[in-house]
Amino acid sequence: MQASRARLFKEYKEVQREKTADPDITLVCDDTNIFKWTALIKGPSETPYDGGVFQLAFAVPEQYPLQPPQVRFLTKIFHPNVHFKTGEICLDILKNAWSPAWTLQSVCRAIIALMAHPEPDSPLNCDSGNLLRSGDVRGFNSMAKMYTRLAAMPKKG
Amino acid sequence: MVSDSIINASIPNVSKDFGKKKRANRSAKLKQCKLDARREQWLSQVKNKNCKEEMNVPVVVSSGGGGGGQFNGPVIETRKKVAKCCNDLKVQSPRVEEINHHDSDSESSPSNSPTSSISRENDSGTTYTGSSSSSTSSFSSRGGCFSGSISEEEDGNGDEDEDDGCLDDWEAAADALVGAPDANQGHYQNANLFPERETTVGLSSGAQHPSCENVDAQVEILKSDRVGILGRGSENGRAWRPDDAFRPQSLPNLEKQRSFPSGAERLQGFTNPWGRNTTPRVPTSCPICCEDLDLTDSSFLPCPCGFHLCLFCHKRILEADARCPGCRKEYASEPLEKEASVSGGSLTIRLARSCSMSCSRV
Repeated sequence: MQASRARLFKEYKEVQREKTADPDITLVCDDTNIFKWTALIKGPSETPYDGGVFQLAFAVPEQYPLQPPQVRFLTKIFHPNVHFKTGEICLDILKNAWSPAWTLQSVCRAIIALMAHPEPDSPLNCDSGNLLRSGDVRGFNSMAKMYTRLAAMPKKG
Repeated sequence: MVSDSIINASIPNVSKDFGKKKRANRSAKLKQCKLDARREQWLSQVKNKNCKEEMNVPVVVSSGGGGGGQFNGPVIETRKKVAKCCNDLKVQSPRVEEINHHDSDSESSPSNSPTSSISRENDSGTTYTGSSSSSTSSFSSRGGCFSGSISEEEDGNGDEDEDDGCLDDWEAAADALVGAPDANQGHYQNANLFPERETTVGLSSGAQHPSCENVDAQVEILKSDRVGILGRGSENGRAWRPDDAFRPQSLPNLEKQRSFPSGAERLQGFTNPWGRNTTPRVPTSCPICCEDLDLTDSSFLPCPCGFHLCLFCHKRILEADARCPGCRKEYASEPLEKEASVSGGSLTIRLARSCSMSCSRV
């Protein structure tokens, strides 16, 4: 129990120290609970998510870092590996390929990489996965771009 | 070979066009870093013999003598050859020149060196200034000559026929030169040999104005430069450790090198850059639980991938999925039992310590 707290505290200090190291990721710890984190990640360029800012919610288990954190999108996103309603993420490093050497920061990086390289063969969002699997990249891109504009960009006016 | 030809071409008009030769030599030197390595070793080796004689440098003639004193063995040998032509003091500096050519050109044109030395002997015999400067210029011309003949390993054999005194010196040169290209890749070459180049400029600038009034001041500069060179040279003058596995077999035998003056301390000092390169990086705290690694932990390597972690975290991982956090491969099964029992002993201690630490933090 205490080991996870110490580890998270170390990660918190690391994030404070290297705030400018990765401009695409902003990790914020909950004021009262060190096991609750939120992250803001920028959509990678040359993807339909470009220009959007996506919010992630981290729920860190007490067995962390032996157990992976539970991460989900709070911002709606049209992506084959993200559940459209719950924001659940299908990513191997958050399941069986987790390693205690990973950090919350590196998980954010992995999620950005997943946004740039979707895996349509293990979809949580079947509509999105089917578009890509049928080869309709243009249809997928326009759908994803539309949802990015709707949900992940500041409202106009 | 470029610098070799430059020197050969400029031999007949040493005294007339001396400045030009100096500049050519210097540019050739700047092009090739390994020359610096050779010079460094040479200067540091010569320093012991030479330092007393440097006191006399203000007297221009004895500057040549100082140069000659650097090669006590070869001087005696070559004196016999030159004796029929000249018997007076002026001979000293051409002798230095000749020795240099024995060192460098013996392989490519062995017959060249006596002729060239005789011709220069006449030149330098005319004025003391010319002789002193040419002898000083031998510092750089030596460097230039050696760059030309690095690749030929048989040079040492060619020298053996002419004079044995040169052989010792040459072995040191070959040692440094063959090692230098290798050392070029290492960081130490850039770090330590760069200032060496500046001192080279200092040496030659002192040599270019032998008629200057305050020769004493220049000698002071020279001496201080050489002391600096010696200091650095004693640290990394040697390019190969005798027990180095990567040492080329074509290098001369090691017994002779050990007998060199100040060889022992150079040997000792040179282990530093190697030791720095080979030291593995050990994290100060466990990457899993962020507690400090103690001595047992930092020497604990449960996985061949080299991922360090504390015994406490290792035990917890073994109880869970038993895979290394670094490479995700499963920990080997038979050290698993042993490690579990071993870490079981220290488990309670570490647990208590980590508890108390985090409690104080909260």
